[in-house]
Amino acid sequence: MSVMTDVADAIVAELNAVTLSQPVAAVRSYLPQYKLTEMQTLHVTVVPKGIVLANPDRSRSQADYSFDVAVQKKFSTGSNEELDVLTDLVQDIVSFFRNKRLDSFPNAVWMKTELPLLYAPDHMDQLRQFTSVLTLTYRVIQ
Amino acid sequence: MGDLLDKGSAWLESQRTLHMTRDVTYARGILTAVVKATIGRTEYETDDGQVVRTEFTDRDFLISVADLILNGIATLPEEGDQIRETQGTSLLIFEVMGWRYSDPYRRTFRLETKHVGTESV
Repeated sequence: MSVMTDVADAIVAELNAVTLSQPVAAVRSYLPQYKLTEMQTLHVTVVPKGIVLANPDRSRSQADYSFDVAVQKKFSTGSNEELDVLTDLVQDIVSFFRNKRLDSFPNAVWMKTELPLLYAPDHMDQLRQFTSVLTLTYRVIQ
Repeated sequence: MGDLLDKGSAWLESQRTLHMTRDVTYARGILTAVVKATIGRTEYETDDGQVVRTEFTDRDFLISVADLILNGIATLPEEGDQIRETQGTSLLIFEVMGWRYSDPYRRTFRLETKHVGTESV
């Protein structure tokens, strides 16, 4: 297994082990594609995204691995109360991974979490679905 | 002499309702009404704008403005309303994502929906 998939699996394991504001059943996927009819239940998907390589010194190499974590659920009313629950979950995930060492891959060091857009407006408008994608970056030095 | 186009539109609408419709259930929460609907455009699509893609089926329903009465009150469609259509032993559930009038005289709604669930009947 590559470091990329090992770290992705470690992220999935962390998400499935921790107690968040609501239970999640995270999965790893290369090309996540769901049917709208399946989205009445919460989906959390970890998608390997990319690698940035650098040399921290003459003898070691450094790789920053990034992963998208998608939180998705179809909503019914779209009320603030209904969507706040999903926003809380996203915030929980963001907070949980801050400075988090991965239990099954402790060599990976958390570098940053990015959430430039809390939710996808087009999914909100056209699918009446909450879709939030955050990006985790973990650094591995070898 | 009156508005001939208006009269013609009314006649066409009556013919659509008589000959090109099937019964579906329009639902808003616990309020429901059986209405006659014409099935419009139906397309299977995938959005491609996100890391995670969603597949869905679009379907338009045409229903008469005069038929949309919930709890005894004539009403306009709202996003999140459902149309439930029985096909064989399945109940297909479509959710209203948007709507507009389909004719200049505002006799017919065109409801833009997406398939969101299927139940057994």
